Amino acid sequence: MSPHSHGWQMTDIRPGYLVLEGCFECGARTSFFTPEPVRPIDEYREGQHFWIYQGSFQAVKFHLECSSCGARVDLDDMTALMLSTCQDARCAVAQLNARQGGGSTVYVALCADSRHASGHCVSPEGIDALNEYFNQDNEDPGRKVTVVPCKLCNDVDTCAGIIIADAGLTEIY
Amino acid sequence: MKVSEIVEKAHLKPINDFKDKEVARVYISDMVSDIITGAKPNSVLVTLQTHKSLIAAANLANVAMIVIVKGRQPADDVVELATKVGIGVFTSEMDTWGFAKRLVELGF
Repeated sequence: MSPHSHGWQMTDIRPGYLVLEGCFECGARTSFFTPEPVRPIDEYREGQHFWIYQGSFQAVKFHLECSSCGARVDLDDMTALMLSTCQDARCAVAQLNARQGGGSTVYVALCADSRHASGHCVSPEGIDALNEYFNQDNEDPGRKVTVVPCKLCNDVDTCAGIIIADAGLTEIY
Repeated sequence: MKVSEIVEKAHLKPINDFKDKEVARVYISDMVSDIITGAKPNSVLVTLQTHKSLIAAANLANVAMIVIVKGRQPADDVVELATKVGIGVFTSEMDTWGFAKRLVELGF
């Protein structure tokens, strides 16, 4: 990051589907984003896992770009954002939630691998840019949005929160 | 225009306590995946949606107020979340088009 204050804008906004899969054999879960107009529901083997389709929701992906210096942060490693409502005392995200003031919130940036077997999660550069973006136009000193990577969760699969995806929204009809 | 002025002139029903923020623009959407990329700070967000993820998205977009049209009522936990994050939620008996026309009449 350069020392100047970035003016982030969303760029390369892509609508698509957030697809959830579970391993029939070990219970692992994974998710991925697809921009395809038809969501893939195929079952397939990948290494030790046998992935089965569990559901999908309309979602969106984007990158961030600074309108001043042109710096670009790639957010391909983030599948979704989740407003944390976690109250698990063992979870660092819940502890952060508990320390927040009334109008402040913690969002978890979810990566594709909920168990982080690969060691990867949403990049630190991405997390920094998301924090700057979602707070840059804030004029309320009592309001703050904090974005953290999902590897901070004690257990992403059981962490309580509200994922920003169009899940359950057809109930209005 | 202030939130309170829109409430009065558009005959909105407040659902929770609200901060009288300045409203600069309008965004209309029923999709949360669209709201986080389309809604701008200090917007009035007009929607038919009452799902809790609406509040999660509206908070990220830093909207000034949410107007739920056609008289739909959000559940208590949705209102509770909106109150926690400081977003005023209102209902209108008008449909989306009718309420949009009213906002145009008010100068948006």
